[in-house]
Order: sequence, then structure tokens, then C-alpha cells
Amino acid sequence: MEFINTLVNGLNIGVIYAMIALGYTMVYGIAKMLNFAHGDIIMVGGYTIYVFCAMKAASSPAFFFVAIAMAVIVCTLLGVIVEKVAYKPLRGASPLAVLITAIGVSYLLQSLSQIIFKSATKFVSVPELGKVSIGAVSIKVSTIITLVVSIAVMISLSLFVKYSKTGRAMIAVSEDRGAAQLMGINVNSIITITFAIGSALAALAGLFYLLQSPYIYNTFGAMPGIKAFTAAVIGGIGSIPGAMLGSIVLGMIESICDSIAPIAPYKDAIEFSILIIILLVRPTGILGKKRREKV
Amino acid sequence: MSSFSEKMKKFKWKHYINYIVIGVLTVVFAIISAAGGLKSSSTILLEKIAISIVLAVSLSLVVGFLGELSLGHAGFMCIGAYLGGKVASLLVPVFGNGTVTMLIALFVGGGCAALLGFLVGLPALRLKGDYLAIVTLAFGEIVKVIFQQSKLFGGNLGLSTPNRPNRNTFFIVAFALVLFTLLIIQNLMRSKHGRAITAIRDNEIAARATGINVTKYKLVAFMISAFFAGIAGVMFSYTNSSVQAVKFGYNYSIEILVMVVLGGMGSINGAILSATLITILNEKLRTVLTGDLAVLKDLLYALILIVIVIYNNAPALKGFREKYNFRNLVAKIWHPKNDPSIVKDDAASWDKVPTKIKMDEILSVDLKVGNEFTPDKPSKGDK
Amino acid sequence: MKKFVSFALALMMLATAAFAFASCGAKKTNYAANNTEFYIGASGPLTGGAGVYGQAVKNSAQMAVDEINAAGGLNGVKFKFVMMDDVHDASNVATNYTTMYEAGMQVSLGCVTTKPCLEFKTLSHEDNVFFMTPSATADAVVGYDNAYQMCFADEKQGVTAAQFVSENYKGQTIGMLYKSDDEYSTGIRKQFLASLDKSITVVEASFSGDTVASFASQIATLKDCKFIFMPIYYTPASQFMTEAKNDIAKDAVYYGCDGLDGIDTAVQGFDISTIPQEVSFLSHFNSKSTEGASGEFIRKYTEKYGADSLSQFGASAYDCVYAIYGAMKEAGDKISVTSSASDICDALKEVFGSGYTYSGVTGTDIKWTSDGFVSKAALKYIVKESDAK
Repeated sequence: MEFINTLVNGLNIGVIYAMIALGYTMVYGIAKMLNFAHGDIIMVGGYTIYVFCAMKAASSPAFFFVAIAMAVIVCTLLGVIVEKVAYKPLRGASPLAVLITAIGVSYLLQSLSQIIFKSATKFVSVPELGKVSIGAVSIKVSTIITLVVSIAVMISLSLFVKYSKTGRAMIAVSEDRGAAQLMGINVNSIITITFAIGSALAALAGLFYLLQSPYIYNTFGAMPGIKAFTAAVIGGIGSIPGAMLGSIVLGMIESICDSIAPIAPYKDAIEFSILIIILLVRPTGILGKKRREKV
Repeated sequence: MSSFSEKMKKFKWKHYINYIVIGVLTVVFAIISAAGGLKSSSTILLEKIAISIVLAVSLSLVVGFLGELSLGHAGFMCIGAYLGGKVASLLVPVFGNGTVTMLIALFVGGGCAALLGFLVGLPALRLKGDYLAIVTLAFGEIVKVIFQQSKLFGGNLGLSTPNRPNRNTFFIVAFALVLFTLLIIQNLMRSKHGRAITAIRDNEIAARATGINVTKYKLVAFMISAFFAGIAGVMFSYTNSSVQAVKFGYNYSIEILVMVVLGGMGSINGAILSATLITILNEKLRTVLTGDLAVLKDLLYALILIVIVIYNNAPALKGFREKYNFRNLVAKIWHPKNDPSIVKDDAASWDKVPTKIKMDEILSVDLKVGNEFTPDKPSKGDK
Repeated sequence: MKKFVSFALALMMLATAAFAFASCGAKKTNYAANNTEFYIGASGPLTGGAGVYGQAVKNSAQMAVDEINAAGGLNGVKFKFVMMDDVHDASNVATNYTTMYEAGMQVSLGCVTTKPCLEFKTLSHEDNVFFMTPSATADAVVGYDNAYQMCFADEKQGVTAAQFVSENYKGQTIGMLYKSDDEYSTGIRKQFLASLDKSITVVEASFSGDTVASFASQIATLKDCKFIFMPIYYTPASQFMTEAKNDIAKDAVYYGCDGLDGIDTAVQGFDISTIPQEVSFLSHFNSKSTEGASGEFIRKYTEKYGADSLSQFGASAYDCVYAIYGAMKEAGDKISVTSSASDICDALKEVFGSGYTYSGVTGTDIKWTSDGFVSKAALKYIVKESDAK
């Protein structure tokens, strides 16, 4: 029973990683770049919710939904602007150059948030959702909501990519950018749409993060960003269900480590060792597709 | 006598210019320092520059020449700093805080880092691109956590290490190590082994098909890169009174990566220059923007980073860059008659055109005598 | 091959030259000779994960310096306070320290956080620069005679907490939550466990990193404990308490050290009255105080910078500046504005060695031992009574 509770606790963290990892994997799968600024877009989403929740009218639940909508809008816009200003000029350049601008954007957002909001941690007055108990297992309502929403997002993203015109264009861009362009696909706008979707997901991730633990500060997104990236890699980066699976696996590993006192300090080392082992056994992650390399 | 002048004619300044510049500058600073004209803050800055150069040049071996993204370079440095520092602190009572202790510490720190480099190189044989990147990041973080929690190495408070014997002159040792690093890595890259490594970067399958031992070269590149990161770690442990594992997280690895990328991939001189400039920028931003202004530091750093990367790499700015780049400006001043747009002969500027591979030399890498497949190898007279 | 050998030889020569140089000693220069104001320097995290602690120190020390200047300074000579950012990274301290020292720094507040302060300690000892750190708690920080602490050392905090627990919870099981990658937390934990009564069983849970997504596992480990010792800083503590408020018994007691100080003020928007359990800590500063020196400090600080970074870090830094100012006053004409840092250090060491006492925000009749440890009353503050009582 104790162990089931530990796994349920792992779910708390895992579902948050899943929301972040879905955004990561979208952007990586299509734009083929590691967006190191993704974690900081989560932070911006969190601060947007904070600003709205700090207003007097925030006590009504309807207003909270306005806050969520605003966070999604702000993050989407930010994602598009960042893409246009920092990544688009480098299309066709070395992928490492884009990686470095992404790091630059990450520093920039962290620094701006410190200038605007100062470095003190802020408590965000999000609604408290409590817990439900099923037998001896109790689970947070926010975890259930996050799980349901992330599964819904996962399914709709998969369907979107598979069946819609834009989605198929995305696949084409990710397979072969040059050929896609020749087929009349506007590669730039497809990548912009990808970033918009990824950033909107980051806003949602920020929201669910705050529901779990209602605190925000300017380095808030960095570590979850890296952990979610790890999760996406475990699941097979670029694969949408893989991101979900990897995140939940990672969350449970974390929770198991945390519950055993002597190994808790080595949590990060254990997680990363498991990552390495998984990648050695399956070099493209659990659900990643193996691609044959051509000369 | 004639052989000397012939040698001088063959002597390519271009190949030695970085040794000469660094050597001359070190001697100049050493003279200033001996005359008492160098403040501690300047010598500390020089030491930091030296450490950054060693790190950037060694990382550029893996990232720039082998073409594998490594996000765990700081982990190798961590090994060097901790083990080198530990060995040094054990040896100080025996040999005193001098050359012998330091050489042993350098050897141990570098050697252990190279061993880990071998371990990291193994997955590199199986993994590609970003998957490898995350594995290197993971290795770095694992090393960090293990040292942080280990009681033998001081736990969270870090390992107290013997300090450099003299704060005013240690930078000379540091720059001697920079020259050593350059000597090894530059000579490696200018040999047939180096060309094999760049061949793997440009096309692994083709390289394998031409008979290059990809396994061997990948492991060697990772080990040498890690060895020098370890050396940088030992230097770090000497310049700080204690070594603390938090320093060696992925953020620091990324900072080193930034130096390599800004310097231009596969350019050793670029890595040296950008390591120097970024280190100075970082230190100056911190000491100039004090108190309330400190929040602007990261903002400025980020803006500079984004602008430089876009300027250096954006395809749209290619024409502009070619017109106004540094090399052409120098060329215009030095040889006003030469048009900089004329392409020079490739053999002399291989590092500008790293993809050029001399097929005959690569083919000779792995073929043993008596092998039934014998490619047409040109005889010495043909050269 | 020849080239290789000649290069190797050249390198060897350079290295030998370096060690030859090593023999000549550094010249001592009085960098403060042209000072027109007394220069107080400090290094601390102003950005990054620990930025808020450094900001509190910067604000408060600046406030103290402004007040002293407004009141006429030391015999008409004003003070100048400079704080450089070390981002909680010890390897940044050397540059900060030497830059300030060469710009004429005469006394210092050292570093805000422990790890950087260990580096600062070594450097300042070489130049004999007096420093009094507001918040670097490790015992090793005051290892040299030029170093003083305003906060309690880890040893004192751990031992005092252990005494309190040993007296009140004999034979029971208590919980402990600590941060495994933080030297403050692990330092106190070590001392606490070493001097705790053997009849007490301790259930431990730990976390690491700047960002913790969920404390669910830690709460599951600690949920049956009636007393939870938390040698951690207030930011993660408030997060833990919020998440744990319905899982841990209402009559349980949270008990921390001075790192918990600020939990009721420094987290913007966090209302401690929503936590049903008792929250208390051992500290030298009561952030709820309305009277006396601490009340006055809190009023002035809140007026100037708002309450969201008010914590014992600031109070301690404020006291450091005043304690140094008082000691300099006592040193009298041994100190002038152009005295070198080393001369001022000797004069201050003499003052501190001869029974100098100071009363301020974080205590009255504060004394220092010859090792540099502070000796003042450590009080248990109950920030929030339990709802169950």
C-alpha cells in the first residue's frame, strides 16, 4: 500500500513533466531544435497567472479561467516573437547556433523577470483543490486534472498531427524540410505554428505546476525544463505518447528515490543513470522510431 | 645554413601564430608582474582566461572537430578538480607545494578525467546527436552529485585544496598549460588522425567505408578532450581555496559550449579568442555592475550572446559578413593589393575548409600489410 | 619530432620560470591611500536562485550606511557600500574581492552565503582585511582571526536545537526535513544528530535542487511525526508547509533555525495563518517585532523596500554595518579614512578582542569570542501558534 502511494506521488510530478515534455517534444520533433528557453516560457506563464491572481477580482473562479486564458495568450505570443526574432534568422544555419540563442533567450527571460518581479518568491493564490481518497490511496485532485488534460492534449495533438492538413505539413517539414518546401508547404509558418503550440502547452504546464505548488520565482522553469527534456528523451524525443510515458516513468523514479531516505540525496544521479541505461538499450528512447541513416 | 633558410621559407607563420601570440603575451605579463605592475585582480583574470581557453579548446575537439554535442564538459573538469585537488593535498606534506606535487596532480586529475571520457565515449558509439548530448549532460550531473555527497571529498562544503604557491605568478604556469594543450590538440588535428576525426564529423558512414576506425577515433577524441578538461579542473583547484561540486553543473558546461560555438565550430583560434572575450565580459560585467545594477548583468550578457550568434550565423547576413569580417579587414590592411575574396589554396588553410580530406592519408590509416584490399597508394615521389 | 621536443622544452622553461618567480613575495600596497570615504565591500548572490538573500543584505547594509552618513559619518567622514554579485558561486569571489580591495576596500561584510565565504576567508586573510559576515553560518568561515560572524554558526544552531528537542521529546520519534545539496542544511543536520539525545528516533526526508515540483514523497515519510525539525531556508519551507497542511497532524510543530526566519514576511502573498501547525524557529531576529530596535528596523525597511525581502539576512547585515561602525568609533584615532585595510583590521581586532559589545536589531549586548563566533541570545520565536491548541 505504501508503495502504491509512492507511485501515486510520483504521478504528481510525472504529469507536470508530461505537460512540459509534450511542448518540448513538439518543438523538437518538427523544428529539430532543443529549445532551452522552454522552461522559461513556463515561468512567464506562471507569472502571468500570478499577476492576474494578485488582482482583487481573482477570488471568483471565473476570473481564474480568464487568468489561464491570458497565460496561454501571453505565452503563445511570446513563443512566436522569440521564434521570429531569435530563431528564424538562423534557419539554415548550424543547429548549435540556434541552441546558443535559445540559451541566450533563457537568460534574457530570467533576467527580465527578476527586473520586473524582483527575486523574492511569490505565493500564487490559486484555488485549492484538495484530495480524493480511494481506499488507502489518496490522490490530489490537481493531479487527476493534470493527468486528464495531458492525456487529452496528447490524444488531440496526435490526431492533429496525423489527420489535419497543418499537422501533415508538420510531419513533412520534420521529415525533409527541403522536399516539404518544394511541395508548396510554407516551412516558416509551419515552424511558427509549432512554436505557438509548444508555448501554449508551456503556459498550461505553468498552470498545473502552480496548482501542485503555488510558488513562483525567476529560476522556476530551469530545472523542470531539464527534467522534462530528460523525460522526453527517455520516451523517445519527437514521439508524443513517448513524452507522456517518459515523464510518468521519471516522476515515479523521483518519488521512489525520495521515499527512501539514504538514497534521496542521490536522486538526480539515479535518474540520470537510468536515462543512460535506457538509451544504451534503446538508443532512440522507449517509443522513439529508429531511423536508418543514409549517406 | 641554407637548410635553415629553406626551413624558414617553409615555416608557416599561420600554423604557429597562436603559440607566438600567447607566448609573447605571457612573457610580457610576466615581466610586468615581476616589476610589480600587475594587480591581483589582473592575475586572477589571467588565470581564469587560461582555464577557459583550455576548456574551450578541449571541448572544440569533440564539438567542433568530431561533431558530437557534449553538454557534460564541466563534469570532466569536476573530476580533475576533485581528484587533482585531493592528490595535491595529500602530496603537499611529502613533496611540498611545488612543481612535483603539481605535475602529479595534473597527471592524476587529467588521467582520471580521461578515464571518464572513455566511459562517456562508449555510448557515443551507439547514440547520435541530441541523444548523445543528453547522455553527456547526464554524466556531468551524476559526477556532480556523487562528489557533492561524498564525505571523503568534503561533502557540501567542498574539498579544501592546496592553494597556488604564489598568487602573482601562477598565471604563467596556467599559460604554459594552455600552450601544452594547444600543442597536443593542434598537432593532433593537423595529423592524419585529425583529418580522420573531421571525416567522421562530415560523414560517419563514408568515413567508415574509407577504412577509418570510427570506434577508435571517437574514443580517442573523447578521452583527449576529457583529459584537458581534467587539467583545467586541476588548475581550477589550485586557483580556488576549495572545490565545490555545484559549480560543475550543466550551466557551466553550456558556458563552455557557448565559447566554442561563438568562436566558430572547428576553429581553435576562434575558441581561444571567444574564451578570452567571454571570460573578460563575464568578470567585468560582475565587477562593474554592482549593487542595484547587478540585475542588468544577465540581461546584457544574453543580449550580447543573441546578437553575436545571429550576426555570425544568420544566412541572411552572409554577404554582409563576408564584406566586413575580421580576417578580410586584416588582409586589407596588410596586403592592400590582394582581393580578400580570392580563395587561397586549400592545403594551406585546411582549418578554414575543414571538410577537405586528403584521401590517400585517410586510406592509409587502418590498412595493414598483407591485407588483400590495397588501394592505389601514391608513392612518395608523386607528392 | 624535433619541433615537438623544442616546444616541450620551451614549455618546461616557462614553467620553471614561473616557479622561480614564485619565490619573490608580493608587495603590500595601501590601496586606500586616496580614499575620501570609508569603503565597505561585500559579495553575495544578487541574481540567480539565492538572489533574494543577497538582495536583503544589500538593501539593509545600504540603509545602514545611508543612516550613518546622514548622521555625519565617522568624525565627518562618510561611508561607501559596494556589493558585487557572486551568484552564490565561490569561484566568482576572487575577482570580486580583489577588485574591491584594489579599489580601496577597508572593511567588509564578507559574503552572504557560506561556500563563497570560505573563499573570501582565505583571500581576506592573506591581505589581513577585517570582515564580519551577516549570514555565512559554517564554523569554518571564522577560521582566521580577521573573520567575525553576526549570525550563529552551524554548530551553535545544531547544538541548541538538539538541546531543545532532547529536553522536550525524550524517547519519541521526530521528523527532519533537510536539503541535501545545501551546506547550511547539512551542516546543522550533522551537529544536530551528533548532540541529540540517543533515546530519540529521527525520521529523515530530504530534497535537493532549487526547484521542487512536489513534496508529496517527503510528506508521506514525515506524516506521522508530531515534531518536524527543518534546518532549511524559508522559501522551500513555506512550500512544504502549504503542501503538507492537510496531511500532517494539526498539533504538529515545525521547528527550524534562523534560515526559517522570514517565512511570515519574505514570501510575497503567503499567509502563514493558513498553516494549521505551529511554526517556530530559533533565531536572533523577530520579524514580527513592533518595538525596540528590531521594530524600528522593520518599519524603516518596509517603508523603503517593501516587506517581500525582509528577513534575518537583512537585519543581520544592518547590525554588521553598525557593529563595525561602532568598533571603528571605539578605535578612535588609530583609524583614518586613508588607513590601509590591514591597519584597520588590526585596530578592529584589538577593539573586538578587548570586550567590545554591541546592541542592535538582532540582540542586545552582543559579544564576540576571540575565534570570531558571536555570542548573543538565541530565542525561540513562535511565528504561528498551532490551530489545535
